[in-house]
Amino acid sequence: MIALSGVDKWYTRQFQVLKDCSLSIDKGEVVVVCGPSGSGKSTLIKTVNGLEPIDGGEIRVGDTLVSDRKTDLDALRSRIGMVFQNFELFPHRTTLQNVTMGQIKVLKRSEDEAVAKAEALLERVELSAHANKYPSQLSGGQQQRVAIARALAMDPMAMLFDEPTSALDPEMINEVLDVMVQLAREGMTMMVVTHEMGFARTVADRVVFMDEGRIIEDAPTATFFEAQGSERAQLFLSKILSH
Amino acid sequence: MTDLDFSVIGANADLLWDGMQMTLLLTVLGIVGGILLGTVLAMLRIARVPVLAQVAALYVNFFRSLPLILVIFWLFFLVPLILGRPVGAFSSVLVAFVMFEAAYYSEIIRAGINSVRPGQMAAARAIGMSYGQSMREVVLPQAFRAMTPILLTQAIVLFQDTALVYVVGLRDFLVSAEIVANRDQRLVEMFLFVALVYFVMSFAASCGVRILQRRLAT
Repeated sequence: MIALSGVDKWYTRQFQVLKDCSLSIDKGEVVVVCGPSGSGKSTLIKTVNGLEPIDGGEIRVGDTLVSDRKTDLDALRSRIGMVFQNFELFPHRTTLQNVTMGQIKVLKRSEDEAVAKAEALLERVELSAHANKYPSQLSGGQQQRVAIARALAMDPMAMLFDEPTSALDPEMINEVLDVMVQLAREGMTMMVVTHEMGFARTVADRVVFMDEGRIIEDAPTATFFEAQGSERAQLFLSKILSH
Repeated sequence: MTDLDFSVIGANADLLWDGMQMTLLLTVLGIVGGILLGTVLAMLRIARVPVLAQVAALYVNFFRSLPLILVIFWLFFLVPLILGRPVGAFSSVLVAFVMFEAAYYSEIIRAGINSVRPGQMAAARAIGMSYGQSMREVVLPQAFRAMTPILLTQAIVLFQDTALVYVVGLRDFLVSAEIVANRDQRLVEMFLFVALVYFVMSFAASCGVRILQRRLAT
């Protein structure tokens, strides 16, 4: 469903952030991307919905060629959900309005239809009681769950998660991961940039390890954790699992 | 010291009120027009529209380098020349205010838009909204909220600057007061009164801005 081949990206002429990255994710698959900071994983996930343009290679989502300049990226993005590290809820809108905005403005759903859908999704992430609050009145974990609901409201064919728990206090991480696990179990196609190796072990079909802009390893989850991979991946794992 | 007689104010209240209405009209139209044109200028620069962004930058720097009174003069004398027919003091002055204020407003608005986190634009685009929709629905509302106090402060400056229409003989509050002062030989009373009115209105508005600022900060 998602296929990257030979993706290159330069931030400046000197600095190449993505080097010949190839990766494919099938429908219903959950792929975790991990790696040290600065390895290019956040940039990689943002190329999938065209938020970050690329300089070489090809990206396909479904039958849409993302890397083609003529592609209607707005239409594509409306069908790919994205969750950001810093939530990025719209602070001037209530929780409910955050979840209805895209439905009304992009999918042209009626107000009633959008609200009904939003209410159902907020119930699903256990935030019905907060529908009329503003994002600033919610905890980080709650905000991130609203952000997931906002993405799901568009009925996406795949979900991209860019370090969804990195900005959260430890006690709030699980409430967000629980929603993601549930989503994965329902068969959602997911690409997740995260350091949560517990999550990777539980639900990922494959784990991709990146370093210095390259995909170093792309292995089934069991293989990845069985210490058969590259030295750099093992070193990375030992570092983040030991604390 | 001659005897002061403030009854002259009450006796000419209608004339003065007409002048004040002109002052307020110029201020309000100047603000609205300035913000509209200023938003367009700011958007051209932020969206990096080729050529037009440079034109906008040039425009802003040009007008910010000129005294307002010069712009008022120019438009008063130049616009009729360019159009080949008289346009009236009010129109030429209004155009001058809008063009001049737009240069300042555009910089305030640009700073306001830049103060919104880039992630907000990314999040709006990520749910499939176009660049224009994202600006309208997500970025601009936050930007305007953040810059309301500065926009209002600039509006207070404009309120005071409208007194410059004196040079083209438009009957604003100051000119009306001056007419009364000369006619009735009550210069001291009238100019004291004018100063008091400008002070009270500007100071009250400034206090209002400060209260608003505190409320927005929480």
